[in-house]
Amino acid sequence: MKKNVTLSKEFLKGLWDINPVFRQALGLCPLLAVTVSAINGIAMGLASTFVLVSASLLISSIRKLIPPQVRIASFIVIIATFVTIVDLVMKAKFPDLSKELGPFIPLIVANCVILGRQEAFSSKNSPGRAVLDAFGIGFGFLIALFVLGSIREILGSRTILGFTVLPDSFEPWIVMILPAGAFLTLGILMGIANAYNIRKERIAKQTLMEKFKMAVAGRNVNQPEAK
Amino acid sequence: MKVYKIITTLSVIGLMSGGILSQLSNWASPLIEANRKAETERAIFLVQPGGKSYEMINVPGVELFKVFDENIASIGYAMVYNGNGYGGNIRIMAGISDDLKEVRAIEVLELAETPGLGTKITEEPFTTQFKGLTAYPSIELIKGAPPLKPNEVQSITGATISAKAVVDIINNGLRIVRNSVSEGSQ
Amino acid sequence: MELIIIFISAAVVNNFVLAYFLGICPFIGVSNKITSAVSMGMATTFVMTITAIVSWLLFNLVLVPYDLGFLQIPSFILVIASLVQFVEMVIKKVSQSLYRALGIFLPLITTNCAILGLALFASMRSYTFPESVVFGVGAGAGFTLALTIMAGIREELELAEVPEAFKGAPITLIIAGILALAFMGFAGMI
Repeated sequence: MKKNVTLSKEFLKGLWDINPVFRQALGLCPLLAVTVSAINGIAMGLASTFVLVSASLLISSIRKLIPPQVRIASFIVIIATFVTIVDLVMKAKFPDLSKELGPFIPLIVANCVILGRQEAFSSKNSPGRAVLDAFGIGFGFLIALFVLGSIREILGSRTILGFTVLPDSFEPWIVMILPAGAFLTLGILMGIANAYNIRKERIAKQTLMEKFKMAVAGRNVNQPEAK
Repeated sequence: MKVYKIITTLSVIGLMSGGILSQLSNWASPLIEANRKAETERAIFLVQPGGKSYEMINVPGVELFKVFDENIASIGYAMVYNGNGYGGNIRIMAGISDDLKEVRAIEVLELAETPGLGTKITEEPFTTQFKGLTAYPSIELIKGAPPLKPNEVQSITGATISAKAVVDIINNGLRIVRNSVSEGSQ
Repeated sequence: MELIIIFISAAVVNNFVLAYFLGICPFIGVSNKITSAVSMGMATTFVMTITAIVSWLLFNLVLVPYDLGFLQIPSFILVIASLVQFVEMVIKKVSQSLYRALGIFLPLITTNCAILGLALFASMRSYTFPESVVFGVGAGAGFTLALTIMAGIREELELAEVPEAFKGAPITLIIAGILALAFMGFAGMI
């Protein structure tokens, strides 16, 4: 692992550069399932972030004690324990939310983002870095959940976080709160994210090419003078 | 040696996980139980507006509660029954008069109907039709024209199957309750 | 009759992929070719059926009698992880080409939420033993169906001009959306 990555970069990379949803297409099951409304998206995002951060902290702290052969099994048990904690606390304290999110809280266990981060990062880095990384990825996931939830809620039920934002004359697009709407919205969002990145890369390549051309041209101009 | 370490690690993690979770579940399960009870209670007093207390009655096949007002006089029943709608299971609580012939109100507890169409069974004006609806000998679903007889309910355009499911669930549930209550009184 | 309803409901009406969003990762990853989609579907169906059996036994013979409901998630996921290891070993022995075709997605069945979802749904709805098994087979069949249809569409799509930015996951998701709309037509069956 590169140790020269700054701490802030460790956090920020999760928000966009390696955003689990838009850049890696991971963790889509809970994302699509719960984003009928923005508030559900936020709840799911916070629950997932809590599990990810706690598991990353614990696993990076004991990473040297776990024999590599049973690495994955240990990770899964630890993640499952934290998920059960979230599930029990939600059922006890936030029964309405827990009913809305239904079986998707237990399914955080099977969210590839969380296991993937343990395997790729926490098991190889210090607890501090692992927690920062987990927060970054968690918030990246939360942002995706919130954006998707908001779009679907605005177009599907004319509201956002329960507040009506569109006039009555706007006929709600029922398709948005159906499963199909989740797929379509996410597909379009990912396409836009890709388009943005392709553009960014092309511009970066162009400026690099121009710099190179200028450097070459500069040398060609300079050389005869040096003679 | 290596096997020994693997087994120790896994057992330690397993035991820790079990220990923490059992402690937490001791704390959470009474709360979860209370939530469930509060939810049932809320629904009961919603379908039996004058209700102040209730007791569960043992009827095989349906969940049935007898509901009492502030003078501990019986004002009727709250019945929970389910059946298949368009997209899956629908669970309904219905407030019923003492003679089991009139529905006071209904509350949909669970459904998996199409949002925007089938979910209209939880909204007015469909639900309003069940306030003071004659349910004996049975509730009838009619299409198109507004209801004329006291036991008729108007269907929902585009969601006939969901509307029919609601009517069927209440009719079927009531049939079971009538049979067992009349057996009990004899 | 009840069993037929459960099967149809799990396979098409409440299709795991298109209505419950379970198993999206392999759905997007392995739906390039019909052949690998069918093999992946069959491996998943196999694991699902065994999971339905084992998790039912575990839940009703161990967790419920000993009041250990809170260990449901960790124990289910461990059972699934070991089952997948087992299936992987068997496939490796039986067919090398199949093993290569399924590639890295076989271990990923462990984190395929469809399998865990199946076990959780079955225990949540308190299915009886035969109902659980039928539910497992039905869900697997539905998963295979969705995966195969998707693969068929994507094979055709290779000849189409998809905008650069929409290649891969985005266009797959959009097609899945259209498929989900089409599958809604099955809803009246139960």
